[in-house]
Amino acid sequence: MALTTRRSGRTRFTILLLVLTAVTLLTLDGRGFGPIDSARSAILSALSPVGDAGAAVFRPISDAWSSAFDQGDLREENERLREENERLQGEVAAGELSQLQLQQLLENEGITFTGDLPRVHARVVAGSVGNFGQTLDLDKGASSGIAEGMAVVTGKGLVGRVVQVSDDRCTVEMITSGNYQIGFNVVGSSAVGVARGTGSPTVLQGSRIDVTQKVEVGSIVVTGGTRASRFPPDLPIGTIATVTTDEAARETTVEITLFARTTDLTYADVVIYTPPPPGS
Amino acid sequence: MNPLPRTIVRYALLVVTAAILQRAVFAELRIDGAVPDALLVLAVAAGLASGTERGAVVGFFSGLALDLMVTTPFGLGAVSYLVAGAMAGAIETALVRSARWLTMTIGALCAVVGVGVFALLGTLLDQAGMLGRHLLVVMAVVGVSTLALVLPFVRACRWADKDTDHLRPALR
Repeated sequence: MALTTRRSGRTRFTILLLVLTAVTLLTLDGRGFGPIDSARSAILSALSPVGDAGAAVFRPISDAWSSAFDQGDLREENERLREENERLQGEVAAGELSQLQLQQLLENEGITFTGDLPRVHARVVAGSVGNFGQTLDLDKGASSGIAEGMAVVTGKGLVGRVVQVSDDRCTVEMITSGNYQIGFNVVGSSAVGVARGTGSPTVLQGSRIDVTQKVEVGSIVVTGGTRASRFPPDLPIGTIATVTTDEAARETTVEITLFARTTDLTYADVVIYTPPPPGS
Repeated sequence: MNPLPRTIVRYALLVVTAAILQRAVFAELRIDGAVPDALLVLAVAAGLASGTERGAVVGFFSGLALDLMVTTPFGLGAVSYLVAGAMAGAIETALVRSARWLTMTIGALCAVVGVGVFALLGTLLDQAGMLGRHLLVVMAVVGVSTLALVLPFVRACRWADKDTDHLRPALR
């Protein structure tokens, strides 16, 4: 009896100690404790060969696994895709025209889409290891000039930012994750705001737009590139889909439909950009 | 070599193996955005095999291993998996009689609770998109996969514990 009581007291003490340690680690991480980032980078680097080998061996199983779960929908989807293919062939020409128009519009507004900024082209090698967090791993890292905080784009626009870097790998957190904000400008007006992911793979929520600024559905949204931002200015983000004005709060909020796809990516570019130091 | 350091080394090996399995195998087996979680299964299995304290300690280090591989706040996995491991140990210890199906069910339930704690604490720590439909999918996938994986993991934990195991009935 005495042994059991002593044992249960020790168990409670151990659990309490572990919880306090975890809380301390959470606090240190929240304050940007450097060694934690270093440890994560080291693990990213150490596990990348394992991940690559695993992907090479298990990707076919993974594909079979996915198709087994999707088989019911596949036949239906096949039919739908066949119909869509014919329709899309007709729309390709129109799409190319729209792309051209978008490029012209961006050029007219002085938006060069990373223009002279160097970019590192990288292949997506892995998705998130866990169940939460919208991240992916690219096969380039610090040895290619990539640093934490750099913007990641595809041919259509911004998709995320680099959150972890090792020598030959980096981890990108998608803009849709909702864990960071992006300052934006609305092209054709002087409206500025802050966008944040909603968890949806195609939509951002924009807020803090001054109610006196006129914002229209269909307007193009680009990165603001303010001094505090790690992103260069004028990276295309998306178009405004809805506008809601709250007169009482003196604020306009918008929904932004992304230009770029954020799921099933094969390649992405990291924009090598270092923001000017404060006060310069 | 003393039994305790040998047990620690064996559990460390199990945590590293589970982390490699997670990175190389389970991360590829994605169903509707959710994957089985080998590190969470290990935490729960340690609790089922060796009681509350061992479940909490192994859960803490399994969670830390996950924290090193993801971008969510560091320590979130540690505290969530600690809860799952300790809970599995507490329930298993409280049972008068055990059976395989019961061990599997308790393992799956505790894993689902671990996922829930992770999402809830993550939301409190301002992580977006952790609650909602995705959480239900993750709970379902983790629950079912734990049901399938927990018995081999319990056997592995008994191997890790075999030198200190003779004290277990008296100490739990």
